[in-house]
Amino acid sequence: MLKMQSVRVDIEGVQVLRDLSLALEPGKATVLIGRNGAGKTTTLRTVMGLLPLQGGKIRLGDTDLAAIPSHHRAAHGIGYAPEDRRLIPSFSVEENILLPALALKLPADERRQRLEDVYTLLPELQALKSRPGGGVSGGQGKMVALGRALMVARSLLLLDEPFQGLAPALALDYTRTLGRLREQKQDLTLLITESSPHLLDAVADRTLRIERGSITSAEGG
Amino acid sequence: MLQSLVPLLVDGLANAALIFFVAVGLTLVFSVLRILNVAHGSFYSIGAYAAASIGLWIVSSGFSPYLTFPALLLSAALVAALFGPLVERTLVRWTYGKSEAVQILVTFGLFLILEDLQRMVFGVQSLYEDTPMALLGITEIGGIVYLNYQLLLIGLAAVVIIGLRLLIRHTRHGKFLAAVVADREVSQTLGIDTNRVFIMAFALGVFLAALGGALATPTSGVAPGLGAETVVLAFAVAAIGGLGQIEGAAIAAVIVGLARVLAIYYAPALDAVAPYLVMLVVLLIRPYGLFGSVTTRRI
Repeated sequence: MLKMQSVRVDIEGVQVLRDLSLALEPGKATVLIGRNGAGKTTTLRTVMGLLPLQGGKIRLGDTDLAAIPSHHRAAHGIGYAPEDRRLIPSFSVEENILLPALALKLPADERRQRLEDVYTLLPELQALKSRPGGGVSGGQGKMVALGRALMVARSLLLLDEPFQGLAPALALDYTRTLGRLREQKQDLTLLITESSPHLLDAVADRTLRIERGSITSAEGG
Repeated sequence: MLQSLVPLLVDGLANAALIFFVAVGLTLVFSVLRILNVAHGSFYSIGAYAAASIGLWIVSSGFSPYLTFPALLLSAALVAALFGPLVERTLVRWTYGKSEAVQILVTFGLFLILEDLQRMVFGVQSLYEDTPMALLGITEIGGIVYLNYQLLLIGLAAVVIIGLRLLIRHTRHGKFLAAVVADREVSQTLGIDTNRVFIMAFALGVFLAALGGALATPTSGVAPGLGAETVVLAFAVAAIGGLGQIEGAAIAAVIVGLARVLAIYYAPALDAVAPYLVMLVVLLIRPYGLFGSVTTRRI
């Protein structure tokens, strides 16, 4: 599974990840906990290839991720839902979800199957599917972003602060959805960032703590 | 009164069509690549030179003069194929994410290079090649004579507006274009090759500019300095419509086209400044253009 070894990443000359090392276990959910600015988002963005490595290694199974361009990572089955949703506002919800299928040139039946899986897991999206991506609420947008990431995620799903800005009831919904996802797709590996501990206790197999760009402790698993 | 207004309208719209091709290319490149390409007008004049040269060659070689019609389209396609990927990969890509000052300096440098290149290849004399316009002839309605070629220009502009919309709404690559405009990074994480989208958008922008230039040759010929003149006008139109807005560019082109023709008919001294007077008024009232806004990015 995903393995980061002594990863160093700078943003505008400031070192954000300092020799960060972590290894995810296949089929397990790992929660990355840390304060704002600790490097949680940077860790996920680095896995997606949005930030260049200054040092260290990232591997997914036998693949050297650092050697493949950012846009090829989706083809390796890594799905990513950024913290601020970032839907394409002029596309409908369904078009947003289907966009990666279009980019990955999935055959029609595979595309249909994955879309159906997303609607089974997130039935509320079915009712929203014709709404423009720019016209859904923050909470709904989080669900759409999750659905879109699930279209891609065959091996690894990265969720960046999924509860950020969610009302408590919606956060609970989201947690339940993640629970169902774990049951349905037992071979999918999850890496979820969160700033407040315990929100994800029900989902987490393992909790890593990140401080000033390095993993400081690990619990569970 | 009406009798004198209709030809004025046709003149204005034909004029608008030519400006629209360039301005929509400029606005497209701006919204996808987020650069203001100062050299954009040079592709218009290169398209014009290519169309005039190919047209003159067709006629002088004794081929059917009707071949000059596909030659207009072919010239634009050749210019786009030759310059689009080359310029984007070698020069423009280094300016992504840099300050506007750097982008303007680099593309201004490109503009100077392209201007000299045109003088080297095509010389400094003007070229005239109006076979397509002569072949299409005129239509007389109610005692007023219209150039059929002008009607063709108006029709083609409509085809381009609809075509671009269909491309962006309903084709795979068009959707990638819209996605990259909205969010480059997320597009990348979803598997879209943004570099390819940039090349495609830039080449499409070059094609539209060159098409404008090619289509303009039968009506006005081509002479040195055309590129600079055109890019300033295209900037004005794109600014009036709101940068990044396809329909905005179309409506702005109509306003500017009509303003110019009105000036030519009623106040010839104001011909050259009419577009900028319109821009001044629009930007004073709406600083982001008629259809532009500060926050939303769409295409």
